[in-house]
Amino acid sequence: MSVETSRRRFLRNSAFAAGALLFSAHLPRPLAAMAAAESTEPVVLAAGEWRCLKAITACIIPTDHQPGALEANCVNFIDKALANEDAAAVPLYRGGLAVVDVVAESRFKSPFAALKSDQQVELLRGMETDSIDPWPLGQELPAAMLFETMRMHTVIAFLSDPRYGGNQHFSGWKVVGYPGSEHHNGGYTRAQVEGKAKVVPVWDRGSH
Amino acid sequence: MKDKTEMFDVCVIGTGAGGGVMIDRLTAAGMSVVALERGPQISPSEFNEDELKIVLRKQLFSPGKLETYRSDTEAPEETGNFAEIVHGVGGSITHWGAWAWRLRPDEFRTRSVEGAVPGASLADWPIGYEDLEPYYDKAEADFGVAGVSGSNPFEAKRLTAYPNPPHPWRPSSHKFAGGAKKLGYSPFPLPMAINSRVYGNRPPCINGGACRGHGCPISAKATSMSVSLPRAITTGKLDLRAPAMVYDLPVGKDGKLTGARYLDSDGRQREVRARHVILAAGAIGTAQLLLMSRSGSFPDGLANGSGEVGKNLTYHHFPIVAASFGEDLRTYTGVEALVAVDDLHPSDAKRGFIRGGVIGESNVASNQPLMFGALLQSLTPGARWGAGFKEKLREFPNTMLFTAICEELPRAESRVDLDPNVKDQWGVAVPRLTKRQHENDIAMHRYFKNKLAELAEAAGAEKVHHVDVPNATIDQKTSQKGSTHNHGTCRMGSDPQSSVVDKWCRSHEVPNLWITDGSVFPTAGGYNPTLTILANAYRVADRFIDEARRSSL
Repeated sequence: MSVETSRRRFLRNSAFAAGALLFSAHLPRPLAAMAAAESTEPVVLAAGEWRCLKAITACIIPTDHQPGALEANCVNFIDKALANEDAAAVPLYRGGLAVVDVVAESRFKSPFAALKSDQQVELLRGMETDSIDPWPLGQELPAAMLFETMRMHTVIAFLSDPRYGGNQHFSGWKVVGYPGSEHHNGGYTRAQVEGKAKVVPVWDRGSH
Repeated sequence: MKDKTEMFDVCVIGTGAGGGVMIDRLTAAGMSVVALERGPQISPSEFNEDELKIVLRKQLFSPGKLETYRSDTEAPEETGNFAEIVHGVGGSITHWGAWAWRLRPDEFRTRSVEGAVPGASLADWPIGYEDLEPYYDKAEADFGVAGVSGSNPFEAKRLTAYPNPPHPWRPSSHKFAGGAKKLGYSPFPLPMAINSRVYGNRPPCINGGACRGHGCPISAKATSMSVSLPRAITTGKLDLRAPAMVYDLPVGKDGKLTGARYLDSDGRQREVRARHVILAAGAIGTAQLLLMSRSGSFPDGLANGSGEVGKNLTYHHFPIVAASFGEDLRTYTGVEALVAVDDLHPSDAKRGFIRGGVIGESNVASNQPLMFGALLQSLTPGARWGAGFKEKLREFPNTMLFTAICEELPRAESRVDLDPNVKDQWGVAVPRLTKRQHENDIAMHRYFKNKLAELAEAAGAEKVHHVDVPNATIDQKTSQKGSTHNHGTCRMGSDPQSSVVDKWCRSHEVPNLWITDGSVFPTAGGYNPTLTILANAYRVADRFIDEARRSSL
């Protein structure tokens, strides 16, 4: 797809003005939770969009000696959020991801997901600082806004309850050192509050 | 249709802290009460610590809530869900942090103490600490406050002991106290309205950690839902209707209210009749409803002959410093705050501003991962993603917050009115918040932030971060759009020209209308307001019952 086509397609599909509100409180739609957990089937994103976004999330929270966005399945969280609460952001992702691949092709002759990791990081850094020139979507959807939306979504996916389809196997909570929601798991003893007894995370206690 | 003929002694609008106490006391006195709550019934089984759903998406406590915001009349307007309040049975006290303070005596008399301050609308309360003191005792007893009497050298004098002992301290609490002592302050256990032992038929806290911003699934936290409403329900005198969105308070030929008109869950218009109406919909909702209730005798809104309804919208401001230490501070356990210092509370103009506030440990944003992730946005410019960001995420268990509750000066221009363009899901004009800070607030905010950083250093922090939390930071450019603490839109006072209700919180203009929420506060004080809302409601309830018995109502 050419730069101009992708731009026009974005504009045509987009009811979405600049100023994406991810946590828009006025979208009373059903929770994404239910079927989201563990599902790896895209319901909103096309296969190519899914691949591209998955590679982007992996740059935002990389895998090291501990899991990152890939293992947490952050792309799945975003896909399910787009099917529900964050449906207003679908045109942004649709138009934006296509353009990320267009820019990747024009710079490095490959779609984003196939780039080397330093090329991916370079491109995302350019988006973050709005310094990709030309950016096909211009001011309709500034690169920095697209990047910020994907960045926030990835972080939220990594840290939210696994029922929403990210943070799989508590991978995000393991990285931050959050032992899980305790009120429904018996709470903490006085000795645990005081730091005198070990805290066993919920996933090591057979309740999950 | 049946509603038309049904007559209650009292209609209470709003079921939070102020409404809950009235419902409790008046049903206990044998009166028939219909309570109308704008939001739905919420079950404690839904209090599941789901940070995404409850805190970020606000799907449990205020789905669909809308306000508009502008910093002043010339500024552009935004539409959003700004005020951190609850629309649901039990009101905003459901997700409170449970810090339970008595105001200091000087906080009832700021106009007398400070004199006139340009740009501010300081006013004395028509009551003093001595009027509220017995009702503070009552509120602390009913809500089971845990604390150590006499441990705060700067508190108002008190004759009774706290009913419950303090909660166990985390390592972070000891860091805070150690730093405070090093600086010559007097740290003390922060009084919390959360059970530290079995009390009032409620269990002790199980230290789950996700407390402020959430409901308590085991009712260890004292709220309208866990204390006031259950008692009222057992009397058989309460008819609780929710959701019931009141849109009009009709006035009869005698100038008295006849009851309330509301929309039920199906959007049908309903009406109840009552001899008295007690309005406790919060400082925003109460002003909104009065302004909506226009009639021939009240063309500018009910009880608004003075034009004062909606003015003087006052919050608190919340300086915050985050600090990380080289160890697990257990901030993901326990109640929100365990230790405080009040040394910087007394007003001292030599500091470059008047008034003050209390400083406390807080685990907000260091108790659950999503808020911590949000906190990192302001901590780490330049490391917002990638390997550096991931390293920062790992500091979660080692990070604690130092925060202050600072008295904001009231401004007449900061106000609630009805948005001329934006309507909510019921087609009702949303409240428009016009709100900006006073210069004094900015100076105080800066001062307290520096003091918090000093405290964190003294506590031995490895890294200290001044945090710019959206909607908490204030400076020349940035205002708070919405708050959990809302006061001042229907001031109590003795002069009908400059206040909305009298010292008994009864309307100057409508004899059977009473208001018992934070809207009646002429000024905000430098502490969390809820215990004062409760105490004031107990005071008004006694008066109401007294007058009813003498048949002078």
